[in-house]
Amino acid sequence: MSEKLVNHGPGNLAHWKPENLVGNTSLGELLFSNDYRKIALKGIFTAFIMLALGGFFALAFRAELTVPDVQLLGARVYMTLMTLHGMVMVFGFLIPLVVSILYYMLPKVMGTERLLWAGAAQASYWTLIVAAVLLVIGRPDFTWTAYAPMSIRTGNPYLWMGHLAIILVAVSEFLAGAVLFRNALSGGFGLGKTPLMGWAAGTIGLLFMVSVVFLGMAGYGLLNDYMQWTQVAWFDPSRGGSIQFFLYLFWSYGHPAVYLPFVPAIAVIYTIMPRFLGHKMWSYWSGVVAFILLGLGAIPIGPHHFQPVHTVSGAYERFVQVLTMLVFIPSVLHVFNWISTLFMAPIPASARRAVPFKFMVMSIAFIIYGGATAFLNAQIAPDSDFIHNTYWIPAHFHAMFVGFTAQMGIAGFYYLYPYFTGKMYNQRLGNWHFWLWQIGLFLQITGMFVAGYLYFPRWVYDYLRMPGWAESQLFITIGGYMVGTGFLIFIFNVAYSARWGKDAPDDPWPLEMDEPAADAAQPAE
Amino acid sequence: MENALGIWGPQAIMMAITASFTVLGLVMLFAAILMKRRWKPSYAFEFGFIAVMLGLVWYADKLSVGTYTAYQQNLEEGTKKVSGNYDPAQDQVFDREFAVIAFQWGFGFINEDEEISRNAVVVQPGQKVLFKIVSNDVIHGFNIPVAQITAEIDPDDRREVWIKAPDEPGKYLIQCVNYCGVGHAQMKAWLVVEGGENTASLEMNGGNG
Repeated sequence: MSEKLVNHGPGNLAHWKPENLVGNTSLGELLFSNDYRKIALKGIFTAFIMLALGGFFALAFRAELTVPDVQLLGARVYMTLMTLHGMVMVFGFLIPLVVSILYYMLPKVMGTERLLWAGAAQASYWTLIVAAVLLVIGRPDFTWTAYAPMSIRTGNPYLWMGHLAIILVAVSEFLAGAVLFRNALSGGFGLGKTPLMGWAAGTIGLLFMVSVVFLGMAGYGLLNDYMQWTQVAWFDPSRGGSIQFFLYLFWSYGHPAVYLPFVPAIAVIYTIMPRFLGHKMWSYWSGVVAFILLGLGAIPIGPHHFQPVHTVSGAYERFVQVLTMLVFIPSVLHVFNWISTLFMAPIPASARRAVPFKFMVMSIAFIIYGGATAFLNAQIAPDSDFIHNTYWIPAHFHAMFVGFTAQMGIAGFYYLYPYFTGKMYNQRLGNWHFWLWQIGLFLQITGMFVAGYLYFPRWVYDYLRMPGWAESQLFITIGGYMVGTGFLIFIFNVAYSARWGKDAPDDPWPLEMDEPAADAAQPAE
Repeated sequence: MENALGIWGPQAIMMAITASFTVLGLVMLFAAILMKRRWKPSYAFEFGFIAVMLGLVWYADKLSVGTYTAYQQNLEEGTKKVSGNYDPAQDQVFDREFAVIAFQWGFGFINEDEEISRNAVVVQPGQKVLFKIVSNDVIHGFNIPVAQITAEIDPDDRREVWIKAPDEPGKYLIQCVNYCGVGHAQMKAWLVVEGGENTASLEMNGGNG
């Protein structure tokens, strides 16, 4: 590995050695050890179990939506699955996956070789598990946004479990944020030398800690209104509460919540892209500035989620609209940085065939595909036409959450795989997983964009035979099942290669400019 | 078809800008992967790019606010009190007015004669229709695809929305687009545009004409 890789700081290659971590860890150690590698491994495994669970829910209700008029699940089961899909995927899969990857990478990148405040990370994990159990038992059907007062009136006797789970998620994420923030400061590099992953962990750790306070308050308010602990409700207007209060509280967390997994995923790109390409990023400060701007913009732009409510044409609404469009800029800075880095020097053949690199490139493609629409969504006029709460919105956030964040988490996992197991993944199965996901996600997201443009409403289990509705739903379902198949192949690959895969060399990701033999006819770049 | 917001023009421009941004980004990404040629962009290039984006933000804000202000002004004119020699038949901005109650799970439409319908609003082709919407219980949505308008209604609030009814007679969907409980999918009604004699056998029609 070349000298140019030193943007890992002192935490460069010395810290990165493949080892059979999975094989050498007992179950007790895995569950309760405060070693950063084991905490990370536990978090990642749990995240994949959550992905399987959330994905299974999705495939179940996708089957329901494939054709109109045919009922497989019915309204209540559908809405429960939909709610659990959203909550499990965001709180159980996306955030824990990328945060766990950061738990593993940060100590290496910062050169500390240990996770500071590991006890808090442990507590964060177990709090989240309790929340997940409460959700599965309570089976709330109020969607992950839990809009008051609907979410305190759905007639489910265990509804309070859903509200309690929201509070526990807030506690768990607060602890995770504190750990990330503490470890971001651990390297002692000074501002201009901290690796970009440190900047990401610092800004997002702060954002975690600030924003989840609003989530905790929203969850507590819902519980309070449901239990009728106070005479005057917080949110329920029939008992003197205010809906606007709920909306502002919830979306003050709800918008940062999409950055909570998003920024760590970006940090993973900044860490593994130089590793695969063998040279530094195009610009260091562009990345730093983008992290800071994204962190600053996250909370004030929350109200764009309920733009066409109340009033649409006031000065405050205009301020939110402009700020939302401006938050487009930090994301563009990141993407610009990545593309410029890819452009700078020839891309090594070793990178081209590495599955994590492929996933990384396509996750950038999806951030462009889904992210560009943010510019349109921010504007109140089109938002009040076909965007607000039609399938356009799921298309946008599935492109960002699955196409970018989840795929980047998967890329990070493939990258770390040799470090966890001492083996390499199976290349052929990895390629199958890659292509199934790209095609499946593209079909799914494009189908959602089309359905949204045709005013297909969100959160319905059945629909009319309007022009184009059934066709786009069919596309989404096909895409969804392709993603599901890709996931099965991925899990098989992970399990199979851990036992029977090729042993990983000391450096699992060596830089090779040329293909070994088969491609010798091609001129070297 | 012209919609009530009248934003077909500005919206088409914005969608074109969004689409070209997507295409530009994807082309650059795949060029970086697939092209033989290597190139290190200068930092000035990035600043230029951001300057373009700032311009776009300014332009998008201007179009969106302009569109919406025009829409809103029409609403305010419709509810303006005029004193003196006022002839309502002459000065009325809206041809029809409906009070709408959104509830779990359906709409109630009350017309000028206080007649209530749970499932249909009957209007003539091309009429300007005002909806004064309140919610009875939880947050609801109000969306008429063919009129290209969406609003969200809080239970402690009131929203006014106006549309221009389509010129083609037909049966057009009115739906809730905000999750309001387990019966959300049933929360639908019809905008019936009368024309000729066979109104009853009209085909249902989706959005976008």
